[in-house]
Amino acid sequence: MSLNNILTNWSRYRKGAEEGGFHEYEHQWGMVVDLNKCIGCNACSVACYAENNLPVVGEARYAKSQFMSWMRIERYWDEPDLEPYQASPTANVDVWIETNPPAGKTALKPSMPGSYAEGLLEPGGQGFEERVGVFGTKGEMQDFGASFLPMMCQQCHAATCEPVCPVAATYHTPDGLNAQVYNRCIGSRYCSNNCPYRLRYFNFWSYYEDAWPEPLHMQLNPDLAVRDKGVMEKCTFCVQRIRVAKDEAKMENRKVRDGEFATACVQTCPTGALVFGDLQDPESRVSKLWRFHQVEQGKTKQNKQNKELRGYRILEGLNTDPSVMYLERVREV
Amino acid sequence: MKHVSEKDINEEIKWAQINTDILQSLQNPRKAYWVAVAVCVAMLACAVVAEVYQYQTGLGVADLNRPHMWGLYIATFIFWIGMSHSGTLLSAILHIVHADWRKPIYRFAEAMTTFSLMTAGFFPMIHLGRMWNLYWVIPYVTDRGIWPNFRSPLVWDAFAITTYLTSSAVFLFIGMIPDLAICRDNSTGWRKKLYTVLSLGWQGTDRQWRNFRKTYMLMACFLIPLAVSVHSIVSSDFAMSIMPGWHVTSFPPYFVAGALYSGCASIITLFIILRYFFRWEEYMTMAIHEKICKLTFAIAMVWTYLNLVEFGATWYGHDPVAKEVLISKFVGPFAPFFWAMLFFGSVLPFALAFEKSRRNLPWMFVVSLLLNVGMWLERWMIVGPTLSHAYGPESWNFLWPSIVQWAIVFGSFGWFGLLFLIFVKVVPAVSMYEVKEMVFHRRREANPELAARFHRRITDAQSVTAKPGIEGA
Amino acid sequence: MSNKKYRILGLFSDFEEAFLAINDIKLNRVPGVSVDDVRLMSPIEHPEIEEILGERPAHVPKFTLAGACFGITFGFLFLASAQANFLVQPQGGKPVVPLPSNIVLTYEMLILFGVIFTVVSFLFLSGLIGGKKERLYSEKVGVDQIGVILELDDHTYEPTKALFKQHKVLEIREEVIK
Repeated sequence: MSLNNILTNWSRYRKGAEEGGFHEYEHQWGMVVDLNKCIGCNACSVACYAENNLPVVGEARYAKSQFMSWMRIERYWDEPDLEPYQASPTANVDVWIETNPPAGKTALKPSMPGSYAEGLLEPGGQGFEERVGVFGTKGEMQDFGASFLPMMCQQCHAATCEPVCPVAATYHTPDGLNAQVYNRCIGSRYCSNNCPYRLRYFNFWSYYEDAWPEPLHMQLNPDLAVRDKGVMEKCTFCVQRIRVAKDEAKMENRKVRDGEFATACVQTCPTGALVFGDLQDPESRVSKLWRFHQVEQGKTKQNKQNKELRGYRILEGLNTDPSVMYLERVREV
Repeated sequence: MKHVSEKDINEEIKWAQINTDILQSLQNPRKAYWVAVAVCVAMLACAVVAEVYQYQTGLGVADLNRPHMWGLYIATFIFWIGMSHSGTLLSAILHIVHADWRKPIYRFAEAMTTFSLMTAGFFPMIHLGRMWNLYWVIPYVTDRGIWPNFRSPLVWDAFAITTYLTSSAVFLFIGMIPDLAICRDNSTGWRKKLYTVLSLGWQGTDRQWRNFRKTYMLMACFLIPLAVSVHSIVSSDFAMSIMPGWHVTSFPPYFVAGALYSGCASIITLFIILRYFFRWEEYMTMAIHEKICKLTFAIAMVWTYLNLVEFGATWYGHDPVAKEVLISKFVGPFAPFFWAMLFFGSVLPFALAFEKSRRNLPWMFVVSLLLNVGMWLERWMIVGPTLSHAYGPESWNFLWPSIVQWAIVFGSFGWFGLLFLIFVKVVPAVSMYEVKEMVFHRRREANPELAARFHRRITDAQSVTAKPGIEGA
Repeated sequence: MSNKKYRILGLFSDFEEAFLAINDIKLNRVPGVSVDDVRLMSPIEHPEIEEILGERPAHVPKFTLAGACFGITFGFLFLASAQANFLVQPQGGKPVVPLPSNIVLTYEMLILFGVIFTVVSFLFLSGLIGGKKERLYSEKVGVDQIGVILELDDHTYEPTKALFKQHKVLEIREEVIK
């Protein structure tokens, strides 16, 4: 039976993503993040906490980096045309790495307190300026010049987290989503280690025990589970909303319409920096934006006719094939 | 120096004497033994308490955090797996090349393999978020049609470790059967019952020996590629990922070399302990000690070379992220441990290169322990820095492992020690029949005319007058 | 003359004495006793035992080969069919039946089954499980003496004992089978 199954379907089973993969996608949910419009207000993050039953972990656990913000706003201070911030001799200096692809444009630098780069390299050392930008000091944030990078799960089509899970708790759905099955997860945490974006969060504690003291537990979203300790979780593109929309469309015997629903972050963004939709639907806003910016899926390097176009995908050179396109921030010089 | 003609073993030693000397290790233990047992149990208790606490509360108590999803557990897992490599691998290699100096030392080295695997096996379980669902990694048939993910290097680990533990335990056991029969013939009470069952009725008949030899050789042939594959599979946990500092082509040989290295260092440690406590100077001779030390030194140099290759390739590769990770190893928060690893792993082994230092057993005992400290640090330096410093600057951080992690790591040594202590009192830690073989062959080698006469007699039908006491004991 | 059958175990101080005795049997010094019936007990295996006892079969390697072949076939088919029945989860853009990981796992299965077949066949072929044990056994065989076991009848009983004595046998144990 199985043997027959293998023999007849061998060539189908041997297809990787490059040849279209094994199954047909029904949807390919994707997103566009316009960094020009992002003002770093964190409303998306708050909405995500509310929608997805994310626990608020408290200061101590936050300081240990055991928090659960599926949607996070990364802050970078990197105004290239500003004078380098004068570092005091005792200050701890942050280090940037070049992230793909604001190629040649900006160097990103973390500012999160407690970031480990402390003391990585001494300022003033040889070659330090070239390799390591000196921009600011810890504890004293600049008044201006911040860039914001909203980071949610990139729903990669060649996700690095998926093949490493020992129990297949994370897999690719026909919706083009990178799904996490909480019930199947045994918490080996390999997926998080292998996520170059570090977008997977682990339940180090039974957070629910103190995250929603009564009557706050009434605010929990009944559409999805509250996770207990020991399982991995991450942004799902609000899969519960996708489910509802698909079910309604099915009942009305139609296709899901573009803009019919959106994820919590997209819905909440006050400036409209986030756009959500189906990349398989050529008429959706998301598809149009991807096409306009000449960003295509399944590539490790975009071949753009117009180099001025702002679209890029984070770390796409790693061949993760993310479903989220970012639009570079443009500044006046 | 003057030790050139030193023998691996005194070939004039009588076979009956070998039995007596080895079997005395199974006599009722002295007080020091019980003290050692108590220490090991206490260490183990620390780990059990910590593990119960962690099981109840969640992995947060281990002070793992988002980039540091793996910590000392995985590092120590690799350490123990690594330590398991020398025993069986060296025993098998030396067996098929007929290096008979392995014979007095292979038994405890193989036991070390089995026990360190039994220790290592705990760590992937302990580090799981939901340990109670561990069995989902096993490929069993269910009506739900759910299988483990065979793409995951962690499942490869499960397969490889199961195979390795089975094979090395069986290899150890098969090699023990003739000795267990000797124990059976020389014991009373519960020991007699135990050995009767374990020795499976071994009588040393030619049929048994014939099949035994074949089996032992075949097992050795299986174990060499197996041991190499096991640690390369463990290295795939890292090499198969895309993280800078993990995704390194030279990881499989690097891991295998590191494994042999720490295993050899532990063989030296146990060698010195057993030699001292059981007064086995006759069997665990300085000549053999010299050989293991030289071997360890050679492997240390291989390890050093592979380290340098890794640094060089990363530096030369111009992958900016991998380069940052490399720099962070040298100057980042892990720097003290990284430099300590380089010192213990690459500089300290030169103590094994000089005869005067090699022959100082207390010093060698300390050195071998420090080499293992270095190798433990190596594993931590593989796991830690990459996690703390990968692609996204947002998640760079450093978190010192909590007391819970340290307690479990500490306790694992107690568990290993306990198993080993039980082993030396239940099973002869030196192979009696193989030492007899070694003595037999050495005697023939030392007196070629003995062997020649033996052949002449056997083939010459006329010669019936014999002189006793030429062959055998 | 009655038709009794005997089993005797002669213990020799070393291989040479025992081998000389067996050699005499080989040369047919005792009519009616064949070297093929001789069974040897020893603390170690003499490296040149075939020279005196002749080649006797040891079939373990055949089972090893069978085990290895079984491991490869079963391992691969098991993995591939498990994967082919678990279609709901394509991952990371990888095929349903990914050969690179199956090669690794099949390799482990080869060794696992090779080892298991080897060991089990050893236990049976050497008679440790299911085989008849020698009724005559001396603990001295575990120390330093060599035992030679023969089954004899009335005609060969006395001459064989004489032969053993001629080769300075240390001890002869015997029992009457029937």
